[in-house]
Amino acid sequence: MSDTPAPSQSQSNPLARKLNKILESRLDNDKEMLDALEALSQFFGENSLRSRRNLRGDIEHRSLTINEEFAVAFKEVKEQLDGIHEDVRAMSECCQDMTSRLKVAKEQTHDLINQTTKLQAESQLLQMKSEVADAFLSKFQLQPAEMKVLRGGHNTNMTEDFFSALERAKSIHNDVKVLLRTNQQTAGLEIMESMALHLETAYERLYRWTQAECRLLTGDSLEVSPLLCQAMSALQDRPVLFRYSLDEYGTARRTAVVRGFIDALTRGGASGTPRPIEMHSHDPLRYVGDMLAWLHQATASEKEYLQAVLKMVPEDCVEEPMAEVLGHITEGVCRPFKVRVEHVLVAEPGPVILYKLANLLNFYHHTIGSILQGSSSLLATTEDMHQLSKKLFMNSLNCHASKLMEKVELPPADLGPTAALNQTMALLREILSSYDSSVVPLDARRTDFTEVLSCVVDPLLQMCAMSASQLNPADMATYMVNCLYMMKTTLSLFEFTDQRLEMLSAQVDAHLDTLVNEQASFTLSHVGLAHMYSVVQQHQPREGPLSAVHGLDRNSIKTAMKQFDAFLASPDDLVLPQCKFLLSATLRDVVDKRSMDVIRQVYEQLYTAVTDPANKYEDPNELVQRTPQQIKQLLS
Amino acid sequence: MAAGPYNYSYIFKYIIIGDMGVGKSCLLHQFTEKKFMADCPHTIGVEFGTRIIEVSGQKIKLQIWDTAGQERFRAVTRSYYRGAAGALMVYDITRRSTYNHLSSWLTDARNLTNPNTVIFLIGNKCDLEAQRDVTYEEAKQFADENGLLFLEASAKTGENVEEAFLDTARKIYQNIQDGSLDLNAAESGVQHKPSSPRGTQLSNDQPTNKEGCAC
Repeated sequence: MSDTPAPSQSQSNPLARKLNKILESRLDNDKEMLDALEALSQFFGENSLRSRRNLRGDIEHRSLTINEEFAVAFKEVKEQLDGIHEDVRAMSECCQDMTSRLKVAKEQTHDLINQTTKLQAESQLLQMKSEVADAFLSKFQLQPAEMKVLRGGHNTNMTEDFFSALERAKSIHNDVKVLLRTNQQTAGLEIMESMALHLETAYERLYRWTQAECRLLTGDSLEVSPLLCQAMSALQDRPVLFRYSLDEYGTARRTAVVRGFIDALTRGGASGTPRPIEMHSHDPLRYVGDMLAWLHQATASEKEYLQAVLKMVPEDCVEEPMAEVLGHITEGVCRPFKVRVEHVLVAEPGPVILYKLANLLNFYHHTIGSILQGSSSLLATTEDMHQLSKKLFMNSLNCHASKLMEKVELPPADLGPTAALNQTMALLREILSSYDSSVVPLDARRTDFTEVLSCVVDPLLQMCAMSASQLNPADMATYMVNCLYMMKTTLSLFEFTDQRLEMLSAQVDAHLDTLVNEQASFTLSHVGLAHMYSVVQQHQPREGPLSAVHGLDRNSIKTAMKQFDAFLASPDDLVLPQCKFLLSATLRDVVDKRSMDVIRQVYEQLYTAVTDPANKYEDPNELVQRTPQQIKQLLS
Repeated sequence: MAAGPYNYSYIFKYIIIGDMGVGKSCLLHQFTEKKFMADCPHTIGVEFGTRIIEVSGQKIKLQIWDTAGQERFRAVTRSYYRGAAGALMVYDITRRSTYNHLSSWLTDARNLTNPNTVIFLIGNKCDLEAQRDVTYEEAKQFADENGLLFLEASAKTGENVEEAFLDTARKIYQNIQDGSLDLNAAESGVQHKPSSPRGTQLSNDQPTNKEGCAC
């Protein structure tokens, strides 16, 4: 059967199944079996029949023993648990006891706690109050140290602390006003009073210190300590003290500037260069110019120092005192400066130098005026000196002019300008050209020029007229033209002389007319046409024909025409000697041309008269052979 | 507060000289304002500017007098040489005539300042290289022969402007340090803040009996 194993048979066959099961079961996988076997192996020593028979009994016996052991062990456990239970119960009792005791204690401390809380709140309140009081004190009271700094001693130094303390005192004084508005008026008033007291002392001390500090500022150079700047700024609140301090500063600087000026004048540089300014006192322009330049520079420096001192003072409060103090500082040098300039001016350096000095002073008046205020005495002094030099200049010009008038020279033989005129013109030229080197504004220049010109030109014209009065017309005209021409050429080089030039030109023209007339009549009378011309002009047609008039007969005309022809051949022969003396070639030409014009016109009239049939000349064209046209060509 | 704008140890006085139109005022303006002034009017007489600089840790205030170059102001400007610690002599590198006049300016400077005055030659307008009329070498040689410091600068671009002003100050400061410039002498062109500790080591051989004297 096993040879024909079929799955369905083997399934159905119980034996086969059992077998299969046994065969399939793996002993080493069955843990229970293994344990059982192992337990068995402990007491199953020898595999004998007896032992096999007793196996069950042994096993049961063993099991009993084990259970007994278990019962003994468990009993012990139970006893112990009983003990624990006892303990726990005891503890619970104990706890209950404690709880009840606590309850009692709580009831007893309740009052105490309440009291403590109250006290605590009270303490907090007090602490707060104390803080408020502290804050109040720190806000409205000075620290002892601050008070000490404010009061200071006589020989304690000024420090930064002083200013912060002062600032605090000031702010307290301000803040305290708030108190006055509340119901703390008494405290407010008291604090205010004490602060005012502190402030007064402090300002007093600050002022003394500033004053002493300012007094030391007399060196050439200036140390402007930040403390002094602060002091000046702080003193703003006491305008009177501020002004006094500034005055003190001004006085110190004034001394320094005067000393510096005198040093520059008399001592100069260390090693001799630059030399003392007074070394140049022989050269008025240099001398005065150096002094003024020094003053200009010193003024600029002083202004800077002052700005440094007042740099912390608000700008709008600075302007006025600054101008005043600067004026004060520069006032000291006025006298030494003035004395020296006056000395120079009085020494009569001559009009040109005086004029240049006036311009120089005027220039510096403007230059320094841009630094100083108009009211300062240094400016006033320079202006005074300017006016003085100008006055002396005008005086010296007037003096020159009146000398001209006193001693009128006769015109020289060549009818040219006199030496006095030449000299005066040279002077005028020098004066007017020195204007180029000055920086006077245009308007002032115009006024000056007008003044100078009227001071010089008018007397000159009078002088010329006087010296020409003795001369014959031609000489007079020539002389005057020469003089006027000379003045005109001089003046034409300068500005603002238009009016004068116009006047001079008109006069030149007038005298030229005279000269032209003289020249024409000289020529005409020389060729014999002058008489004829006057007759022709006076002749009236009703008096009969011209040919009948004496002196205008055919022969006379013929002779005259012959002479006129000779003149036409060489017109230069009949030029007046005076005309040759005219300095200007252009004017000579003008006289020449215009006199020829006159001659031509005269001839033309004569020609018309002769050729007029009413005048009954026979054969007029033979008598006057040349037409006016030809004459014009010949004479031009 | 201690570093306020007026806190300085020395004042150095400078003067700027040279022909008209070489750019003296522009150099000054460039130095004090750090700007180029395009159409600068002719200076009338003198003008002045200041700036505080620092040399070797010392604050120094420069007081700079800018003179007119026009011949007609020569008489006026001559008076300002007095007491200058530094003289900046300027010419225009594009105009030889301004260079040719240097010797006359130098004579003026030597005659009218003290022997310690530092003279610095500046060739201005070096931005106009294309129009150059005076070479660097030539001017350098002139400067060396006459013991002048020399730089070419441009007031327009600002090139070397600071250097020229600062180098002059350094040289003056050096003169003070080695004692060749006597600070106590009037007209030295340098004013010293007396409280500065450095003051004591400087020469002090001139008695300073400075009583106010008003005559």
